[in-house]
Amino acid sequence: MKFMALIKKEFHRFFHDPRLIVTMLLPGIIIFLIYTVMGNVIGGSEVETYTFKVYLSGQSAVTQVIETAAESAGHTLEWLPLEDEEEARAAVKSGEATAILAFSENFDGFDGAERGEVKLIYDAMEQASSFFYALSASILEQYGMRFAIVSESLSTDDAIGVEVMTQILPFLLVCFIFSACMSVTLESVAGEKERGTLATILVTSAKRSHIALGKLVPLSCISMLGALSSFLGVALSMPKLMGVSLGFLGGYSVWSYILLLVLILSTVPLVVGAIASVSALSRSVKEATAYTSVLMIFTMVISLVAAFIPAIGDWVVFIPVLNAVVVMQGVLAGGLPVWQSLVGVGLNLAYTALLVFAMTKMLSSEKIIFGK
Amino acid sequence: MEEIVRAEGLKKTFTLSKKQQRIERTGETRRVAVNGLSFSAYRGEIYGLLGPNGAGKTTTLRMLSTLIKPDEGDAFLCGHSIVKEPEKVRDVIGFLTSELKLEGFFTPDYLFDFFGAMHGVEKQVLAERKKQLFTRFGIDKFAEVQVKNLSTGMLQKVSLVISIVHDPAVVIFDEPTNGLDVLTAKVVTDFLSELKAMGKSILLSTHIFSLVEKLCDRVGVIIDGKLAAEGTLEEVGKGDLETAFFDLYHAIKGEIV
Ligand SMILES: Nc1ncnc2c1ncn2[C@@H]1O[C@H](COP(=O)(O)OP(=O)(O)OP(=O)(O)O)[C@@H](O)[C@H]1O
Ligand SMILES: [Mg+2]
Repeated sequence: MKFMALIKKEFHRFFHDPRLIVTMLLPGIIIFLIYTVMGNVIGGSEVETYTFKVYLSGQSAVTQVIETAAESAGHTLEWLPLEDEEEARAAVKSGEATAILAFSENFDGFDGAERGEVKLIYDAMEQASSFFYALSASILEQYGMRFAIVSESLSTDDAIGVEVMTQILPFLLVCFIFSACMSVTLESVAGEKERGTLATILVTSAKRSHIALGKLVPLSCISMLGALSSFLGVALSMPKLMGVSLGFLGGYSVWSYILLLVLILSTVPLVVGAIASVSALSRSVKEATAYTSVLMIFTMVISLVAAFIPAIGDWVVFIPVLNAVVVMQGVLAGGLPVWQSLVGVGLNLAYTALLVFAMTKMLSSEKIIFGK
Repeated sequence: MEEIVRAEGLKKTFTLSKKQQRIERTGETRRVAVNGLSFSAYRGEIYGLLGPNGAGKTTTLRMLSTLIKPDEGDAFLCGHSIVKEPEKVRDVIGFLTSELKLEGFFTPDYLFDFFGAMHGVEKQVLAERKKQLFTRFGIDKFAEVQVKNLSTGMLQKVSLVISIVHDPAVVIFDEPTNGLDVLTAKVVTDFLSELKAMGKSILLSTHIFSLVEKLCDRVGVIIDGKLAAEGTLEEVGKGDLETAFFDLYHAIKGEIV
């Protein structure tokens, strides 16, 4: 009953204060807005219908099919004769033209002796160009394997975007988790200590361990919400910004996701516990903020480093947060690092338990609570 | 008379931090704040611990309310040892000092329920008590106002009422009127008289003679962490508490103030 009252109080404090809710959700909203605006500026027009200007060389009846398909979808298609390939490539790259479509000699008259070839050059960063690529590639594919489709993108391909994302996403997630935990925990633990409201609770007969857990549990839940909001901010704006949708995440198995989720969930209480302990030790919010910032920078640097070391040793699973980064990368890269995840989760729980124990001790320590 | 608080040879020594040594311009590394203090307070009376700054009053009351542990000695509140049964002690006392604050965001209504739950008070009992106490002290109209928006006097009332949410037998109060204006101070002294009328035992600390004279049934004079005199106001003060105190001080410290 005392424990429940402590937990409820913490949630009540948060969910009845619009100011706190806004500060918690704001990073996610801002990320979404900024990235979307950036994405729109970078990505150019957002129109649903395009005007395709496609350089064509060689002949095939397929062009007629593509044209019909494009026009029936409301797009306009204009064929340009391909004279100078270099010039055409430059036009595609700059966005003046959409793509280059080059059919080999006697493409339609192919009789089995020699495979025909169709070359499709486009620019993955341009929406119209990617769209045209998708459209024509799907039509060409309906012809089966009677010829080779050689497609080439003039700039960052989806695959490259995905690779960048698998590197950067875990790091971003760590940052979001950390800043979410920081914003609630500092205020709730260091703030209460500084304002003398923690001492008021210590005079009651509630167990010290319950008081510690009564902070950790609700603050972890709230931090998860905050981290989730930031993550959604990125996820929703990613398609606009990078031309990569997080749809690529759909390609992983359910188990990978469960592993990842459990690992992330187990990282949050650990970070909250660490910040809460630092807060309990500090005399003021200011002091706690200073120490926590150091902790945050340190964590970010090591997770960023870890994100870019390709083959880091297995010892890394013993380091909290880092293990989450590495396992996340593993999952995103299509692997299923089972034992690493389990060890990581287990260790996170063990470390969290240690921190709760330490906090309980701190709350019982007169030096820490009443020290001069 | 039934003993409700009994302190037996309480002792507390602090290690002084470098910063504290600098502030107090002293080379000492240890400070004996309370030095073998024994006294008794009886049921239904207001007992005043009277002493100058640094005498060890706050330290004593913190030990009695189990916020800090004595190095030596023990004390019993309603028969529960502060050393062996601190959690039981916390349920029979209400402790109040200006250092214990209420979170400004919450309303008196919420805080009353919260602290009631923290002391394990039954919901129904709690609701009844809330109604009774809020009406008695005129808090009912402000029950839904955030604590940070209350006037100082009302805030003081709310703190007082919340400190007795669990109907403790003993109320411990460190410097009840320190830093309060005359009106708010009157709120507090009236409250203490009310509590006494309700049959509660009260232990307070102060360095203000008039407060002791006005409120206390018995007084213990504490100087340098030791009990210098104890008895009824009449026995200790002999008609003039102030003079009696300075005589005691002179006899112990050998200096004229
Ligand atoms: N946590 C602490 N660490 C170090 N020294 C302390 C601590 N608490 C109290 N002291 C010292 O112990 C002595 C007694 O302090 P205490 O606060 O109990 O006195 P007091 O009678 O309440 O005085 P005041 O009237 O100033 O409130 C003082 O010299 C004080 O500096
Ligand atoms: Mg004091």
